[in-house]
Amino acid sequence: MVITFILVFVLGIVAGVVGAMLGLGGGIIIVPALALGFGMPMRTAVAASTVCIIATSTGAAVAFLRDRLTNTRVAIWLEMGTATGALTGALLAGWVNQRLLFILFGVLLAYSAYNMFRTRKEEHKEEVTPDAISQRLRLRGSYYDKALGRRVDYQVSRTIPGLIIMYFSGAAAGLLGIGAGIFKVPAMDQVMGMPFKASSATSNFMIGVTAASGAVVYFARGDVKPLVAGPVVLGVLIGAILGARLMVHMKASKIRLFFMPILAYTAIEMIYKGVKWW
Amino acid sequence: MVGNDHEAGAEVHPIELVLARLLRLGSLIAAALLTVGIALMTMGMTVLAPKLITAGLLVLLGTPVMRVVAASIIFTKERDWHFAFFSIVVLCAMAAGIYFGKGD
Repeated sequence: MVITFILVFVLGIVAGVVGAMLGLGGGIIIVPALALGFGMPMRTAVAASTVCIIATSTGAAVAFLRDRLTNTRVAIWLEMGTATGALTGALLAGWVNQRLLFILFGVLLAYSAYNMFRTRKEEHKEEVTPDAISQRLRLRGSYYDKALGRRVDYQVSRTIPGLIIMYFSGAAAGLLGIGAGIFKVPAMDQVMGMPFKASSATSNFMIGVTAASGAVVYFARGDVKPLVAGPVVLGVLIGAILGARLMVHMKASKIRLFFMPILAYTAIEMIYKGVKWW
Repeated sequence: MVGNDHEAGAEVHPIELVLARLLRLGSLIAAALLTVGIALMTMGMTVLAPKLITAGLLVLLGTPVMRVVAASIIFTKERDWHFAFFSIVVLCAMAAGIYFGKGD
């Protein structure tokens, strides 16, 4: 039992580091590892993974907030979309054709993977012109990039399309039981014109709120098994703190290189799931 | 390094510092409860240990909720009505999600 504890703990550290750097929850690693690698029931794995998403978000946020990478105003604005989306997703679960959803989201992910590949060499977006809402709400930011050794000032644009995408990513989180960080980062980075690091940190900040509503349900149903979730979550917490410190010193173009294969993999897996169940 | 920090600190919004403190407190309490719980588990204390671990997980679960509550209080204090309203929308959606989620 002690050996399983240690293995699960190490798994948590890895998932925490990756999740914190990329602005994801790390569920992409944790769910298959617990279900396939350790032979745990899917519900236990998903419930543990949901708590891990909160751990990544909380652990990494401290460093990102201090380094001014997290944009709290953008986060609150977009959380309106993710929170109402998650609510819709929870209400619609069982009504909507899941296969169609999987395929739809898969195609969307493949498209953002392609976009990210196209812009892989860009460290930052060229001049972004803010729209009326982002100006009114002062949605802009500025941070000191430790990898580039200079200040980065940015403006946010396409505020309403961003909010709409967040609504659907929230709905995906509610329907598919995922953290949906994989939708949030490209929405901010590719659509709203935020720098990749600010997008990743802000996504990281937001996924905790998205996952918290789901986690309450799993707790109420008794799916959160303390002996499984305890060691993984502790690992994730430590991993996320380490990952956040690492990310601050890395170049955005390097982090993108890690992000692309994960996007592509998730896209293929989602489309495959959708087609398989047809 | 000091110069950079000073430069970055020039326009630091208090909200970031307050939220960072809150999240650090939440993760420290959760980590402490989890560590003690797991240590007791390996020593064979099977009654108390799962309770401590569950308490740690619940503290972690409450942290993001507290974060939105704290943000709404800060924005209200700053009379930033737009963002105070946005935070309350988020809180209401979370509360409704919890309410409806328990149903099935």
